[in-house]
Amino acid sequence: MNSLLTPAMAGLSAGGAYAILGVCAIFTYRLVAVVNFTGAAVGACGAFIMVALVEMGMPLFPAVVLGIAAGALAALFVGFITTIWFSGANGSVKAAVTAALLVGFIALGLRLTGGQHPKRFPDILQGAWLRLADVQITNASIAAIGLAIVLTIAAEQFLNRTRTGLELRALSERPMAAELLGIRVRLLALIVWAIAGAVTAFALMLIAPLRSPDFASLSLLIVPALAAALIGAFKSFRAALFGGLAIGIIEGLASGLVGLNQYRAAIPFIVILLVLLWSQREARWDESR
Amino acid sequence: MNRASLRAAFFAALSILVAGGLVVGLLPNYWVYLITAVFILGIALQSLGIVTGRTGMISLCQMSFAGVGAWTVGYLNFIDFPGGLPLWLLLGGLAALPFGIIIGLPALRLRGINLAIVTLGFASAFDVVLATITYPGQTNFKMVARPAGMEGDVGYFMFVIMIYALIAVVLEFLNRSRLGASWLAVRHSERAAAAHGVSIPTTKLSAFAISAFIAGVAGGLFAGYLGTLVAENFSMMQSLTLFAVATMAGSQFTLGAIIGGVLVSLFPELLRRLNVPQDFGSVIFAAGAVQALSTGESISETFMRLGGKIVPKGLFKRAKAKTHKLPAAKTFAKDVPALQVQDVTVRYGNVVASNKVNLTVPHGKVVGLIGPNGAGKSTLVDAITGFLPDYEGDIRLGDKSLNGVSVTERARLGVRRTWQTTRIAPELQVGEYMRLAAGSDLSDDEVEAVLDWFNCPPANTPIASIDAGTRRLLDVAGIVAARPPVILLDEPAAGQSYAEAVRLGERIRQIPETFGSSVLLIEHDMDLVRSACEEVTVLDFGTVIAHGAPANVLETPIVQKAYLGVDHELEASA
Repeated sequence: MNSLLTPAMAGLSAGGAYAILGVCAIFTYRLVAVVNFTGAAVGACGAFIMVALVEMGMPLFPAVVLGIAAGALAALFVGFITTIWFSGANGSVKAAVTAALLVGFIALGLRLTGGQHPKRFPDILQGAWLRLADVQITNASIAAIGLAIVLTIAAEQFLNRTRTGLELRALSERPMAAELLGIRVRLLALIVWAIAGAVTAFALMLIAPLRSPDFASLSLLIVPALAAALIGAFKSFRAALFGGLAIGIIEGLASGLVGLNQYRAAIPFIVILLVLLWSQREARWDESR
Repeated sequence: MNRASLRAAFFAALSILVAGGLVVGLLPNYWVYLITAVFILGIALQSLGIVTGRTGMISLCQMSFAGVGAWTVGYLNFIDFPGGLPLWLLLGGLAALPFGIIIGLPALRLRGINLAIVTLGFASAFDVVLATITYPGQTNFKMVARPAGMEGDVGYFMFVIMIYALIAVVLEFLNRSRLGASWLAVRHSERAAAAHGVSIPTTKLSAFAISAFIAGVAGGLFAGYLGTLVAENFSMMQSLTLFAVATMAGSQFTLGAIIGGVLVSLFPELLRRLNVPQDFGSVIFAAGAVQALSTGESISETFMRLGGKIVPKGLFKRAKAKTHKLPAAKTFAKDVPALQVQDVTVRYGNVVASNKVNLTVPHGKVVGLIGPNGAGKSTLVDAITGFLPDYEGDIRLGDKSLNGVSVTERARLGVRRTWQTTRIAPELQVGEYMRLAAGSDLSDDEVEAVLDWFNCPPANTPIASIDAGTRRLLDVAGIVAARPPVILLDEPAAGQSYAEAVRLGERIRQIPETFGSSVLLIEHDMDLVRSACEEVTVLDFGTVIAHGAPANVLETPIVQKAYLGVDHELEASA
């Protein structure tokens, strides 16, 4: 029993991070209508700023705060480009823009952080929350899962219950109409970008010590994040939460099996493939007339 | 196989071979070696141009397809498979092809960014698998054997150039074929493409399969170029960079593919000589791609636009001396009506957009369908052409029921339509659009004749250069040239001047006799309806309120009330 439980629990913190990133992906998609391929890269910017500050001798707490702010700034940069130059463009073009920006982010990030050599990330939450025999649940994974759940509930409540949430939904569906109604389109959009960037930065700080934390690998966490978002059909935060956790746990289980271990990072791709094949049971047409 | 394709293919092959000759003749070996990479990357970029540039689906795993091809070539070399590199390249391409199809499957019926996500996922999964299985021959340094007589750098350059020219020529033909036009049409509007009888899944899958094959060949050429490969050659970052460069340079064009190849392989060399870190190139590619996306124009398109200004005007004039002959009219069964709509009801939620509508388009006639805005006219057209599969009632083409038949299949059976707003892909030429709409069995001469008959510009005119009103005429011309049993025209005169509308009305009246098709005309221009139609049906709030000869129907009080709000009964009682 424990031989399965141990790796599954080890996958929990990764799953929590995937869930956070997936929820952020849906958040940006539903509110500013962009599928953001730089979603994890902006967070990686924040996480690496935090590491740099710690290496320069800054205490952990202010470094984490500044790192989160840096993640928000990086996201704002992407947000500026998409809202100012591409406000009228369709979803494909915006996605292409973020995919192109991802190239620049990774190239610059690798250059500034010293290439593929992993940095040593400080554990910002040390210790185990629960330990039973050889099964242990770390504080970091509890924090990741907790943040994911809080984020899911907050996003749902915000979108469905608040006036600003309603305005933002109007904004993503019909930006022009929203602007004509007197909604401060640009400001709201930029706030959404900043929030997503800040949250992602914190999520990556939690997960980085468990990964090979070079800039490129952290940026490519966007793949499991988008897989989680697809499970939620880019609509349901709750489904993305469970999807992200499930991907993490499956990866954890696979890492415990000899022969599958090396291939576990291919799991998000298989999830994406299956979800997409399932969701196209019926034909759909592009917008009419 | 028309003259334009032959000319373009010949021009492409010649310019590539001349460029190759110049490189070999003028440059030292080191540069020949570097420029070999330009052409190999050019092939990879062309493969991306098919999926992303033409079909409009974002692919972020092109170098993974190349990796499959390279791995296959490496393996065949490792086991000393007979046939040498040319055969191995073919097998490498064929090995990549099924991957292209599997990746393309999820994008068949879903639109938008799904393909971008699944391709990024594939690229990351491929990285993982490749890092584990490694390249054949990587550990014992067995170099991939180049073709006999082409072992040297110059020889291999010639080999690459020949493969590049071969692929470029085949692509010139493909791009100008009906399949090539379908790719652009699908990118622009899936609805419009399906209404031309284009199968959307086949079109997308073919783009993906051909693209993966070509990328696989490019990968195989890389294997021969570098001798031994490592996983990093085909990593996800390489795919992303290739995407950015393709977007920046416009890799769906031969010129753009070469420019892109130069950027990827020679730009780092330039940066190296300037003592600038080489990965700075990627940042510039990212910025260039964003710039190209925001202006909607890639580098090669800018060059072609500027080049187009040098070409003398008047090139797009039809040779008036020749008299063109219209294609022969088709004959259809005369004993049954061309189209019958029986008790058709369409609901959008609680709204009944069409309520037990009955309508007959008799053989060889033009029938009008009129009614105020929101009367359900376009809904009916959508139901007839299959875009609203959940209607109640029966729609029959001749003696065949169309219920349950897909949009594409209905179009192929011969129910064809135009749209209220033009949906012609602007990248096409007039002639290419005509072949997309009408099929390939018309001669060049017949295409020109139909264009002339409708007062459309000649076949070699780019769509992008003609105005919206003319594009709508072209819409009609394309469908009429197909000579299907039934033509549905949705407000063809909107956007036309009065004189043009009169002329168009005259032409529409002549369609049955000249081409054999029966016409259902939806129109608000009553002069046009009077001049073109023999019968008129009036819809209001989804219900048929009048039917008969135009002169009688248009005088009916109920029709005037629906249209003009003139209430004769009220006037009479007052």
